[in-house]
Amino acid sequence: MDRFRAESFIPLTPLAFDILLALAEGEQHGYRILQDVNARSGNAAPLHAGTLYRALARLLEQALIEELAERPAEDDERRRYYQLTERGIAVARAEARRLAAQIATAEARHLLRAPA
Amino acid sequence: MRSLSTLASLACSLALLAYPRAFRARFGREMRADFHRALCEGRGPGTPTALTVLRAAARLASTGLAEHGSALRRWPLFPNHPPHLYHPHGRRAMFWETLRSDIGHALALARKRPAVTGLAVLALALGIGANSAIFTVVNGVLLQPLPYRQATDLVMVWSSNTREQKPVNVVSPANFLDYRDGVTDLADLEAFASFIVSEQLQTDEGPERVLMVNAGPRVFDILGRAALVGRTFAAGDTDVVVLSHGYWQRRFGGDAGILGRALIIGDRPRTVIGVMPDDFVFPYATMLGPDGFTTRTGVDLWLPWVPEGDPFANRGGQIVRNVHYLAIVGRLKPGVTREALESRLAGVAGQLAQAYPSSNDGWGAVVVPLHEQAVGQVRPALLLLLAGVGVVLLMACVNVAGLALAQSVGRQRELAVRAALGAGRGRLLRLLITESVLLALAGAAVALLVVQWGVRALIVLAPSTIPRLAEVEPDTSVLAVTMAVAVVSGIGIGLVPAFTASRPDLRDALQDGGRGAAGGSPVGRRLRAGLVVGEVALAVMLCAGTFLLLRSFTALLTVNPGFSPEGLLTMQVELPDRLTTAEARLAYYDELFERLRALPGVVAAGGTTRLPLGSTSVSTTIDVEGRPRPDAELPEVQFRRAVDDYFRAMQMPVVRGRSFTREDGPASPPVAVVNEAMAARLFPGENPLGRRVRTGPNPSRNQWTTIVGVVGDVRHTGLEQVPAPEMYIPHRQGPPVAPFLVVRTTGNPAELVERLRADARAFDRALALFDVRTMLDVRSASVAPRRFVLLLVSVFGGLALLLAGVGVYGVMALVVGERTREMGVRLALGAEPRAVLWMVLGQAARLAAIGIALGVAAAWLLSPLLASQLFEVRPADPVTFTAAPIVLLAAAALAAFIPARRAMRVDPLVALRVD
Repeated sequence: MDRFRAESFIPLTPLAFDILLALAEGEQHGYRILQDVNARSGNAAPLHAGTLYRALARLLEQALIEELAERPAEDDERRRYYQLTERGIAVARAEARRLAAQIATAEARHLLRAPA
Repeated sequence: MRSLSTLASLACSLALLAYPRAFRARFGREMRADFHRALCEGRGPGTPTALTVLRAAARLASTGLAEHGSALRRWPLFPNHPPHLYHPHGRRAMFWETLRSDIGHALALARKRPAVTGLAVLALALGIGANSAIFTVVNGVLLQPLPYRQATDLVMVWSSNTREQKPVNVVSPANFLDYRDGVTDLADLEAFASFIVSEQLQTDEGPERVLMVNAGPRVFDILGRAALVGRTFAAGDTDVVVLSHGYWQRRFGGDAGILGRALIIGDRPRTVIGVMPDDFVFPYATMLGPDGFTTRTGVDLWLPWVPEGDPFANRGGQIVRNVHYLAIVGRLKPGVTREALESRLAGVAGQLAQAYPSSNDGWGAVVVPLHEQAVGQVRPALLLLLAGVGVVLLMACVNVAGLALAQSVGRQRELAVRAALGAGRGRLLRLLITESVLLALAGAAVALLVVQWGVRALIVLAPSTIPRLAEVEPDTSVLAVTMAVAVVSGIGIGLVPAFTASRPDLRDALQDGGRGAAGGSPVGRRLRAGLVVGEVALAVMLCAGTFLLLRSFTALLTVNPGFSPEGLLTMQVELPDRLTTAEARLAYYDELFERLRALPGVVAAGGTTRLPLGSTSVSTTIDVEGRPRPDAELPEVQFRRAVDDYFRAMQMPVVRGRSFTREDGPASPPVAVVNEAMAARLFPGENPLGRRVRTGPNPSRNQWTTIVGVVGDVRHTGLEQVPAPEMYIPHRQGPPVAPFLVVRTTGNPAELVERLRADARAFDRALALFDVRTMLDVRSASVAPRRFVLLLVSVFGGLALLLAGVGVYGVMALVVGERTREMGVRLALGAEPRAVLWMVLGQAARLAAIGIALGVAAAWLLSPLLASQLFEVRPADPVTFTAAPIVLLAAAALAAFIPARRAMRVDPLVALRVD
């Protein structure tokens, strides 16, 4: 296995980061991720299933997320559940730091105003 | 509402079809569920309508199409997205796992069919091995750099005289000095004698012949090679010698104390100053000028050459300008091109022509890259062989592809099952290619085991005139090329059956296993027939090439050389050093020939200074009485001495006048005999007898010589060479020191050898006798390069014929197998067995005829490439283009005959009971 460097995944696409954020709360199935992302964006640009699963496929391939071998006991729907991997957590942290630094800069340069 | 849900489900199904199959397999169910839930939860204003459903489906579908693009980008080799592409294990692990499983599968398959596998591996080993062997030779001779430092900067400089049809000629010493000094800013030039001389080296055990070349002191520096032991020449060196590694080992056992020893070479002691490394070769025979004194290659020692110390070059303190005998090697200065040097030298030559019109008028200079000079002559022949062997490999591949195709027909069911279980076309393609690459690699492994042996055999077979053969050795580049050839062959072989097999007709194959095995798709059969057509075409090309070369070769051997080579024994002798005067040598010759003629079976004996077909040539300029011309414009003729009864021993006819007699002695007026070519060139329409000529670069210093006879022309430099004007003088008016002797016997000349050697020893132990060969051997050696090419191309042609035959047999056997029932019906209905036979043969002949037509067309187009190897045969030779198709047709008929006979003997009862 080649050496893992979180920086090599940075910057993430907004959608990929959104999915990682959704999974940061714990394992989720696909539709819950969809709902979570749409809720946080205020349904501004609603995500649909095709886009979501394409992004999930990429993240699976990059091993930033993984599929749970077992489903939570209370779940009776035949759904697959996804969770962050160690790599995924590291990459999400790195991306968050990058964005935080940008936000800090934006504040310092008075681009962010407190909502009136 | 219910109808809307049906619409949603339908639209979603359709939209999902836009996705790669594997993607659909993995995420399809969830996507479908999510699609429905999203609709039910009714995002956006209002309840879902048919329009919003369709809009969502369209969005879903467009994303699916985009996914195709990204899958393609990530794995372009397998555009049909194997399932593992979306598998959490990632595709790299899957790649190796698939490979491992494919290899395992291929090995299991090979174990199940050892005969077929063995045959395929053998065919590929043969094809790949032959390629590797020929490539090894091409690599060693043509591709590897010469054993000099930065050999690409090295060139040779020749003088050229287009008016006298000497485009590449040796250089005179004075011209060399002017060339060298005129280009010092462009290149470093140094001269060496354009011939290898043999001298006697005095040892404790008596005299020994050594081969050496006189080279200017800067030669080693220009070539960029230092001595292994000691040093090379320095300016001012005169009585020194540098040994070759081979001679040092052979004669002195590699004794490091050799430095400083004095060797007596000829009559002068010379101090050993150095030994060259093992891989140092200089000069290659091809680097010597057209008029070398020996055809031998390989040098024992190098002596320093300086014009001032050379009696040839320095006459009365004058460096001569009109005697040409030097070769020039040079190193271009950085950034200087060959063209720049050539144009500068053209300027220098122009100035010399103005300053010394009597010797230099019409003379220019040419610059040839050293590599081109060394190996350029053999390039066409070697490339021809490489092309021929390439065709053989191609045919071997086609045959194995045919085999694989036949197998894949039998495997239709297996492949169909795989496809039914979800293997895409690419997956099946990969499986088939893995199998055939494995086959080819196994073939290559077998080939590599024998390539060393094959190369040895090639070197033994090859004529010694091919330069650099000693340097030929399989190396890593040969290994790399072999492997690359194997992989490419394997992929090519795998692609053919994959064409048909990777899209098997599922229903057909699964429904009826029996039919799949016996039948085979029409596409596969047609493809197989196409392969056979291709094979026949390739075989026609190779056969046509073989016939052209064969016809050239036989034409060459039937050329009358101008003398009768049968019953002749030839040898070279070197008279003892004690015979210093002409009188002593003449007396010695008289006694020697007396003894030779007394040998049993000997009818005539003579000698000459240049043996036809067996030695190089030497020429002189000639001044005809009554035709005063400037020295530089004097015509040139080949010059030989006739010793004793030479013309009668060779059976060269005296056409006019007389031959030499004992009366043409030292005291009589000088006489000469000329050949018909010289008579025709110099005295067209006149009687040459009685005309007087003078020879040499300064004819006015020499005596007039009277022409007393005309003899027939002799092919001297080669059977294909038109005879040049030749002039002979009698040995009594200039006895040579080391002539060739020819002895004509009534019996087999080879049986005379031992007797002759014993007699020579009894006569005089100091008489050196070497190179004893029959004239037939000499002639045979003179055509060795052609024979070598012919032999190899014939072998390739034979292999091609065999492979084409096997191909025809294979496809016809398949056809007969398929049509067994039909044949049975025909026979049961009263068809003549003979008619069935002819039907099968006719089908084979149709295939062969198409192949032959294609092959003849291709051979017709390509045969001009052979022109350099042909002699008295046109590339579009009608005999060849009739014979090659006939041979192929016969081979095809023969190959088809076995299955045809089987078809004829089909028992109707058995055939009809098949099901």
